[in-house]
Amino acid sequence: MSAVAYSERLPVRARSQRWAPALVGLLSLLLIAATLEIVLDGALGHSPLVPPSPDIAGWLEGIGERLGYRVFLIALLVSVGAYAGLVALSGRSSGESAGAAVMPWRWAIALVAALQLIVFAGPVLLSTDVFSYLAYARMGVEHGLNPYTHGPVAIVGDPVFKYVGKDWIHVATAYGPLYTLLSYPLAPLGLVGALWAMKLEALLASAGTLALIWRCACTRGLDPARAILIVGANPLYVIYGLGGAHNDLIMMLAMMAAVSLTIAPAPTRGREATAAATVVAGALIKATVAVLLPFMIVSRRRLGPIVGALAAIALGALVGYVAFGIHGIDVVAALNRDAAFVSTDSFATEIAHLVGKPGVFPIDHDLLKAALVLVILHLLWRTWRGYDWVAASGWALLAISVTSTWLLAWYILWPLPLAVVTRDRRLLVATLVVQALFVIHQISPLLAPVE
Amino acid sequence: MSDASLPIEQVRWQWLPPWLRPRTVEHKGTGSMRLVETTLLVLAAVLLAVATVNDVGRSVSVNHRLVADLRTWRHYTGHDYHNISIDQQTFGLDSQREVLCANTSPGPPEARTQICLAIWGPVVKGRRTVHGGWYLPPRSVDLPANRYGCFGPGAAGICRR
Repeated sequence: MSAVAYSERLPVRARSQRWAPALVGLLSLLLIAATLEIVLDGALGHSPLVPPSPDIAGWLEGIGERLGYRVFLIALLVSVGAYAGLVALSGRSSGESAGAAVMPWRWAIALVAALQLIVFAGPVLLSTDVFSYLAYARMGVEHGLNPYTHGPVAIVGDPVFKYVGKDWIHVATAYGPLYTLLSYPLAPLGLVGALWAMKLEALLASAGTLALIWRCACTRGLDPARAILIVGANPLYVIYGLGGAHNDLIMMLAMMAAVSLTIAPAPTRGREATAAATVVAGALIKATVAVLLPFMIVSRRRLGPIVGALAAIALGALVGYVAFGIHGIDVVAALNRDAAFVSTDSFATEIAHLVGKPGVFPIDHDLLKAALVLVILHLLWRTWRGYDWVAASGWALLAISVTSTWLLAWYILWPLPLAVVTRDRRLLVATLVVQALFVIHQISPLLAPVE
Repeated sequence: MSDASLPIEQVRWQWLPPWLRPRTVEHKGTGSMRLVETTLLVLAAVLLAVATVNDVGRSVSVNHRLVADLRTWRHYTGHDYHNISIDQQTFGLDSQREVLCANTSPGPPEARTQICLAIWGPVVKGRRTVHGGWYLPPRSVDLPANRYGCFGPGAAGICRR
């Protein structure tokens, strides 16, 4: 480039840097407005997007209108567009002073906090899962039933039963014994109290995850404000994850606690053992996070993580067995059962349709499992040869969600906290692309309205 | 470099051939591994994107058809009901032939005698053609044993009682 051309481009760049903060402000407002629209309209209930629920958001009624597919999808697309703009802008410096970010860290924290609080204050969105969690807790505490051997249909007379998704009324819990035991103290709070407690649990887990992401990003020399913005302002994380009060948020808290322990400047053997035990604790909440363990062990190549993991598995198995019997620790049976489910949003179903098949067949399950095993073996080999184990774990979680025949929005959140604390930018791009494709797959009601 | 100068961690793995030994930091090399991985990732992304767009088109087409089916049921029965169940399994998922059932008189879903219509064919003026139908007793699901009063060629062989 000639000196003249370079000097002509400078004012253009300076101009773009001047309006960047204003654009950040506008996009932040759009993101907040779109989230508010969903929450306020959802508070009115009577929407296919808001599951029937005890009246917890009645104080917000009267501001919005009934939430229909059209408004929801437009708000979701606006959120995604604003989020994409913010992520792109957050990677740039303002140019006024070296290293000064377009989005100040205080602004990023305020935006993320505002989004989380808006969703916390509103109704349960887009999923009945939280009522299943409550049903399992009430089965154990109020009815003396084992949630690992009975579905919610065993408590037909309980007030929570009518809110459980009809697909799940015969299904025993697939969650880990630690999560089930954590949910037991909420059962005596009554339905409304327990529901608020579940929402608070999800909010606190999210806050904890974001705090750990900040810490990990700082330790690794990455921009912590950008990292928490990418996770905490993510529309799928906010609307689907936090909006549904999913226990995936608690699992991700355990995941980030383990990562934080291992990437400390000087991890000791004790810290590494604790990190591995924390992964096991996360798996006793939701089994998926167990995939981190082999990567951590292969990366560390020391006894600490193995001892920590074995001790935690032994303790977890003992507690699970004492509390729930053999079914409480039969993780393999629960995983096998769930692996057979098929959702219309899964990429496996989409590819089946693409090749002219009506859906996923048993042979496809086997092929997908084989593909997943190959990916994980390759990642383990790469980790053995020095690749960042945190990034490898993120890829493994992404591969699990992409190859799963039962894909839900909150499953494609799993790799996101890991993607923002690694230097392999491909993981973040791949995770966001998969999320974008998931959102695109939702838009058909916009193109051909449904009733 | 002699073994004595290696960290203990690396000495432990000296018995392995060099290409199998673990590394603390990744060897950059020529970047061919990264290139292969990135190429595979791009190809996978293209496949997923094509499958997603194809599925959106398919869903739009199905939604268009189902909206026409609901209109057809309401027009045929003269009832402006909203709790109408749609079954795509009876004639096969890929047949584009649907069965729509709902009450014959006002009441909660499935609480009254239900009328089911077998609907297929192209969408014309927002509706499709009714090729037959049957009735179901109150509080019963659409199973062959429950069907009675079949009418039209579309219901041939459908009723069992």
